[in-house]
Formats: sequence, structure tokens, C-alpha cells
Amino acid sequence: MKLTKMAWRNLWRRKRRTLITGFSIGFGVLLAVTFTGTGDYSYSKMINTGAVMGFGHITVEPLGYNQTPALDKRLEDSAKIRQSALAIPGVTDAIARITGQAMFASATKTVGGMFMAVDPSQESTEHNLFLRSLVEGELFPTAGGRGVVVGHKLAEKLRLRIGKKLVYTATDANGEIVSDIARVTGIFKTGVSEVDGSMALLPIDSVRATLSYGRDEATMIAVIIDDQRYTERMQRRIDAAVGDSQREVLSWKQTQADLAGIIAIDRSGNYISQLLVGLLIAAGILNTVLMSVMERTREFGVMMAVGMSPGTLFRLVIIESIWLAIVGLLIGIVITMPWYAYLYHVGLDFSGAIGDDYSAGGVLIDPIFKIQLFPESVVAIIVGVFALTLVSCLYPAWRATRVPPVESLKTI
Amino acid sequence: MARHAGAAGRKPKNDIMRAMETQHSPHILRLENVTKTYQQGKVEVRAVDDLSLAVDRGDFAALCGPSGSGKTTVLNLIGGLDVPSSGKVWLEGQDLATLSRAKLSAIRRDRIGFVFQAYNLIPVMTAYENAEFVLKLQGAAERHCRDRVMAILKEVGLEGLEHRRPDEMSGGQQQRVAIARAIVTEPAIVLADEPTANVDSVTADALLDLMQALNRHNGVTFLFSTHDQRVMDRAHRLIRLHDGKIDKDEVRN
Repeated sequence: MKLTKMAWRNLWRRKRRTLITGFSIGFGVLLAVTFTGTGDYSYSKMINTGAVMGFGHITVEPLGYNQTPALDKRLEDSAKIRQSALAIPGVTDAIARITGQAMFASATKTVGGMFMAVDPSQESTEHNLFLRSLVEGELFPTAGGRGVVVGHKLAEKLRLRIGKKLVYTATDANGEIVSDIARVTGIFKTGVSEVDGSMALLPIDSVRATLSYGRDEATMIAVIIDDQRYTERMQRRIDAAVGDSQREVLSWKQTQADLAGIIAIDRSGNYISQLLVGLLIAAGILNTVLMSVMERTREFGVMMAVGMSPGTLFRLVIIESIWLAIVGLLIGIVITMPWYAYLYHVGLDFSGAIGDDYSAGGVLIDPIFKIQLFPESVVAIIVGVFALTLVSCLYPAWRATRVPPVESLKTI
Repeated sequence: MARHAGAAGRKPKNDIMRAMETQHSPHILRLENVTKTYQQGKVEVRAVDDLSLAVDRGDFAALCGPSGSGKTTVLNLIGGLDVPSSGKVWLEGQDLATLSRAKLSAIRRDRIGFVFQAYNLIPVMTAYENAEFVLKLQGAAERHCRDRVMAILKEVGLEGLEHRRPDEMSGGQQQRVAIARAIVTEPAIVLADEPTANVDSVTADALLDLMQALNRHNGVTFLFSTHDQRVMDRAHRLIRLHDGKIDKDEVRN
């Protein structure tokens, strides 16, 4: 009889105990899927949302702009950089933009804020959250017009409506204070108070003219990639294609350090929770397998007496634990599937508990709690279950081999 | 009978040479001034006391004596399940004290058969699988295992019961499986510790008939530990132990 078959039969000698342990492993799988799936989904969602709020997953910027943003720092050949980035497989969009600080004034009030100058021909609702969040009006039709789209809280502060005039004042490429006028064509509401109260979209050619920029100049190329998990790899590729001594290629972790910090802290907490759950389950497995080994001391003594080597006996107990892990994993899959399907398709709505401001690190977060597991997370969970079970069984397996046959046979 | 290729294939060269040297010796095993002491609390118990003994090939011998006389301890020492406090145990010319745990396992697997008082079959295995167990440990080929196990089960009278598990068999049937397991590898010696203690008299006689036949026809050496008169009556040699020493060593025709 093969050891695998013998181990399988041994596993079912105490059906109830095996099933209880299998369910505890299965429950661990459910928790691991929930924790990991929440992280995979929410971090991905936050990163992708952050990307469409201006900077992209990867940003090509003038050297030093990220540390000290100023409008005198600019990319001179934005169209060429954009085309080079778009030619790289995995890049889904590359958009030239000018971002900076400005004072916004209406007939009644003046407030400080941020502007993002955009070319409507390059923008899409898919890659621009502000366009996706328009609640009134529309985006100005051309890059050279005098339109402006403002956040709804900024509109409230300045008492602006569609068609009203807005004066923006900024420092130009030469350090001079310059102003221009624009007419409100649209109002957006993202749900992030800070953004809705300070951000305005302006036509890029008009802004270039106002700021004394050349026709092909911009402060950034925001690059959107098809999968945020490969940001570092894509960053290296883009850097190889367009990087030089006057510009730098940065990832979202560098341009949105607050978001990166929040994700890192949350992920650490997630890992600690999973570790604690894992330890509890490991203790249960250790207890079960150790009991099963101690109950069979005499049997192991007989096996060794008739010639089974300690190494083979060790392997037998380890194979039993592998079977236990497989059973636990299968139970885990069965009990996790409906839970996963519900959270993946429907989710839990926490908007009532979150309030009006759905943001973290300046980025919009989804108030619907959903999960999604990446393939690498599935592999990690499977490997984790097996590793946990195997590690838990090392001591019982070792114990099984240490009982001298003559001692175990004394119980005859 | 020739040993099968699986076990013979793994036999180191020096073992084969040693076996050749010892095959002409009449002694299959030898104990030389063996003493075994145990500590029971603060008291030292001398289970075997300076015992010397030689068993010949083909013997059908029994160690007998009252409880505590050292019978089982002697069997355990011969089987390499326990180590002597002093003295030497030689099995087929090999000093068991010089062998590693792994080597001792291999000796038990290949050269010794064990029959225990409580059968000690592996409960999750069928009669066939229990009998096959040691052959599998030897790494024997599937076909050889099948032929050999079926022949042995027939020999011990268990034909048709191959697929029964221990809890589906009587005590006598279980002990027959244990005997099949002990002899399936054609060991040099079978050590049987009170093999008839847990069975009724009819079954005990049948088991003894079987072991006697294996001894006569196949030349299997048996060494019993017993205080069953039926076993003692059939033994060709009766070694009476008392307080760990040989009280009387009687060879009969």
C-alpha cells in the first residue's frame, strides 16, 4: 500500500475530528480570501481612482517638479513624449496636462485653488474622474477656448453657475503674475471635499498662452496603464523610452505619497490580522495532528518494529497533513464561493456609515465593500494553507519518529 | 527460497560477504553475556542478567518462565527493539549495537519477522495490505508483492479473506495475518511474543500447526516467548528463564 493511500485512510479514522479541523482550515481560507480580496479590490480601486484624478499611474514630469511644483518647470516636447509612451505595450493612455496653483475670483469672492489645464481631444470620462463626475453642463469643446469646469463646492464658494465668468490668476513661466478670464461650462462633484472645493479644469492652449508656455509645453504627461499591479515594471519601460536628465518618470507611489502611505499601513494591518488568524488555525491543526500521533504510538511502534524507517514514518505523518490541507482547502472553497460571489457582484454598502466625504489620502474611495482576488493572491492563499499545515505538523511528525518501538510496544 | 530482487538489490556488498561467511555457521543468533537493567524509580531492575545464548537455523525454540523472568526483554534485544546495558547481540554475524537506527530498521524489515500477542495489525489496512506492508517497505515490485502475498495468505489459510480489515476478522484470523506479515519476506528468524495468549485453544492449536509447518517445510526459524504449555510442548528446544538468567536449556527430539 502506498503511503499516500495509507495516509488518506488514517485521516478518516476519526471523521469528526478531521472534519472539524478541515472546517477550521476552511474558515481560515474564508478569512484569508476576505482579507486579501478586500485589499486587492480596494487598493486597486483607490490606485486606479487616484490615477484618473490627474497624475495617472505613472507621470512624466520636469525634473524636481514633484518636490517643488512650480509653473516655470515644464516639459518642452510633450507631444513626442506622449507618442513614445503610447507606443509602449500596456499603456492605455497618455495625456498632456498643465497643473498648478491659482487664485479664482468671481464677482463676489476670491479663493485659492488648483487648476488642471486639459486638451478635450485627449481627455475621456474613462481616464478623467472630473469629467465622469460632471453634474451640470459639459467640458469646454476646444483646447483654445475660454471655458472652465469647476468643482461644485468651489462654485458654491464663488457663487458660480453655468455661463458665469471666472478670473484665474497664476504665476507664469517667467515668474510674472498673469490673469485670464473664463466662463463656466460645467460643474463636477467627485465626493472628495478637498477636490470639489478647490479644483478647476481649464483649456490647455489658452492656459499655455496665458502662462507664456510654448505650443508643445506641459507640466506633465499622465500615463494610464492597463494593470496597476505592474506599475514598477511599466515605470522602468517608460523611463527607458522617454527619460532623460531634464525629466523624471514617477509612479503613483511617488506622486501620491499620502495614498501610498495609507495603503502600506492598511496592508500591514491586513497582514497582521491574517497572521493572527493563521496562528490560531495552526494551533488547532497542531493539536489535532499531535493528538492523532499520540493515539497511534503503539501502531507507530509496530510499524517501526517491522521495519519502517523513522524517515518513512515522518513522511507518513507529513502526507497525512497534506491530505488534511487539501480537505481543508476544498471545504474552504465550498464555504467561500457563495460569500465571495456575493461580495464580488453585490458588495456591502457602507455609504451611510462613511458620510459625504468618500476619500482617503485625497483619493475617492468606494463606499461599497467589494472583494476581488488577483490570481497571485489565490496562489498565495493556497501556498499559505499548505505551508501553515505542514509547519504545524512538523513537530507531531518528529514526535512520531522519536518514540522507541520497545516503549510503544509496552502498551500491548 | 531465493530472496526477491527488490530486497536483494539493496543489500550492500559487505552484508552479502558477511552473510556468506555466516551461512555456514549453525547459529543464526547469539547473545554474549547480555545484561539489561531498568531503572524503576530509585530501584534498578535487572531484567536480563549476564545471559549467553545461541539459536540455530531452523530451530523451533521457546523462551519460557514466569512473568518478569525476562522473556520479552530477550526478544526485544534480539529484535533490535531495545539495546543491552552490557554484552553483545549478534544476528547473522552482525553486532546489533554497531548499527544505526536506519540500519536496524532495515535489519528488522529484511531479516526478522515479528508476531505479537495482540496481533498489532494496522487497522486501516486489509489482510492483504497488512501482509504486503513489509514487502512494500522493502520496495518490492507490485507483481512480486501480489504473487507472494497471495501465496502466503493461502498458506496461512486466509484465502478469500484478503479484503477484510482487522476489525472484520476473528482473533485467530488476525493472528494468521500477523504470521503472514512476519514470514512474507522470508526472514532469518521469526520472534513470536506470546502468539497464542489471546486466542482460544482450538485456534491456538491451529496457529501452532501452521508455524510448525512453516518451520518444517520452509525452514523458518522460530523463537517464542511463552508460558503457554501447548507452545512449550511443541518446541524442539525449551529455554527456561528465571530472574533474567537461563535456568534450564533443554533440547528435545
